[in-house]
Amino acid sequence: MTSESLDAFVNNLETYGKIYGPVKTGESCSFQEISQSKEMALNYSRTMIPPKKFFLKLKERMFIFDERECEYEETLEDGKIVVFGIHPCDIYALKLMDKIYLDKNPDKYYQMRRENATLIGYSCHPDEYCFCQSQGTNYAVDGFDLFLHELKDKFLVRIGSEKGNKIASENSKFFMDVESSDIQEFREAEGKREKEFTLKLAINGLTDMLALSYESDVWKEYADKCFGCGSCNLVCPTCRCYDVVDNVNMDLKSGERQRMLNSCMLKKHGLVYGGKNFRPTRVERLRNRFNCKGSLREDMMNCVGCGRCTVYCPSKIDYVEVLRRVRGEL
Amino acid sequence: MAKPKIGIYGLTGCGGDQLMILNLENELLDLLRNVEIVAFQEASSVQQDEEVDIAFVEGSVSTELDLERLKDVRKRSRMLIAIGDCAIGGCVQAMRNQEMTMKEKMEEVYGKGEEYFKVLEPYGLSKYVNVDLELQGCPIETTEIRQVFLSLLHGDTPEIKDYPVCVECKLNEYQCLLVDKGMPCLGPIIAAGCNARCPGLGIDCVGCRGPIMNETNAAEELHTLLEKGYDERYIENRLRFFGANFEGILKLSKMLREKTGGARGK
Repeated sequence: MTSESLDAFVNNLETYGKIYGPVKTGESCSFQEISQSKEMALNYSRTMIPPKKFFLKLKERMFIFDERECEYEETLEDGKIVVFGIHPCDIYALKLMDKIYLDKNPDKYYQMRRENATLIGYSCHPDEYCFCQSQGTNYAVDGFDLFLHELKDKFLVRIGSEKGNKIASENSKFFMDVESSDIQEFREAEGKREKEFTLKLAINGLTDMLALSYESDVWKEYADKCFGCGSCNLVCPTCRCYDVVDNVNMDLKSGERQRMLNSCMLKKHGLVYGGKNFRPTRVERLRNRFNCKGSLREDMMNCVGCGRCTVYCPSKIDYVEVLRRVRGEL
Repeated sequence: MAKPKIGIYGLTGCGGDQLMILNLENELLDLLRNVEIVAFQEASSVQQDEEVDIAFVEGSVSTELDLERLKDVRKRSRMLIAIGDCAIGGCVQAMRNQEMTMKEKMEEVYGKGEEYFKVLEPYGLSKYVNVDLELQGCPIETTEIRQVFLSLLHGDTPEIKDYPVCVECKLNEYQCLLVDKGMPCLGPIIAAGCNARCPGLGIDCVGCRGPIMNETNAAEELHTLLEKGYDERYIENRLRFFGANFEGILKLSKMLREKTGGARGK
């Protein structure tokens, strides 16, 4: 697809749902609804809140209930959406979220929104906080419908799903066949990109290293710096804990159930019945968070190397630095 | 079942927390269907000093009269709920606690030799009596006090937001004023519940809801803001404005006083 076709192609995506893309909001970026491609900042490094927000809402009403009738009514919105411009790390993160929320016992809220969404990936260049290369998440093989690789004056477009194939064929006027010169250009661009990564983290055996460092002084040192504010979890594309609250109405019989994203850095996260808390101190919570991120979900690590937790930590706790300290590299 | 009896009382403070209850306006009559209010200092001159199921008390204990009234209310209430920062940590009245004696403060404000009140160094209720629930805010939020009423009437434990403002900023996708703009935001150590109203308007958090109980990393807030180029005394004042009596901030003040050989204050 030529670069000039982007505007028209994005306009046409309206057919598949409301279009969301990365938009500059102050100093950071956010996935917002757009009507034209020029509203997007496609050279963005990362949004503060990852695209998980489309599927596991930051906060939402799940249903309304009435105790008198023992009834409840779900209040899901169900619109089709197109999320344009997702980076490979965030695509991997959604693949991980899918494992949690779709396999075995699907969360129907997540499932419905996921089915209603079209994901269009977009190539990126790393900044000093990106370490997706180390996590093996810098190139999305699947998990998207279409993926656009920006070349000099065109895009190399990969199709990642049936849905993507359908979009491509319905918009065939925008697409040209790939020529060998395109492949050469793509190969060179990818090779160049591989060399742009400056931040590295050795992940081999990390899970074991973390387990062996349970008593390490490193945790105490960083816990003293930590505010326990939960920002790291809330901006993390793979953190998926939520909290559920019932709000009753004035009649004391009807009400609503809400859920919102939660954070394991908050003191109530480990609070259980009887007032017991299995992670009462910040050291325990911090260590738990790093152990969770460094652990595997089936064969995927719970971190995709997007750098958000480091960028948005108010006390500048550097995720990679902490893990290097734990490994004894620093 | 008889309606629970409620008493709403005020000690030293501006009356803003009681006002927030009155701000329930449209729902007050519905609420009265479920509770019997026997005392509401700001709303009614009728004041029955009888036993109550729930006492809501605002204001700090700043005079001996406050203390006497608090002890009396505690004695005749089954549950005592502190509403607002004054009743929890003393709020702005406590800003200069430990920095000046009460005598010095009284002399500065009223002149030498005058003694209008029998004053005490301002503290929240829990310094003197057992408090069952604390609802932070200066003032408290109408939505929150409403939820406390409804939860208790429904037989639930009210949900107290003991996490920082940062959480609400993220849930609302507000830009981080501290990280992105370098503003002296106190969000990381201040209790949420305001739905990050100020940061949402681009105004850095001054901490009006008070620090989070036993979770305040005041030393790191100082360190973070010093790194951003703010003056130490400015940061300390900002922290003490609403939180001077909170453990983490007390400790920090003490440490700073010792560092400068006590040549601070005033």
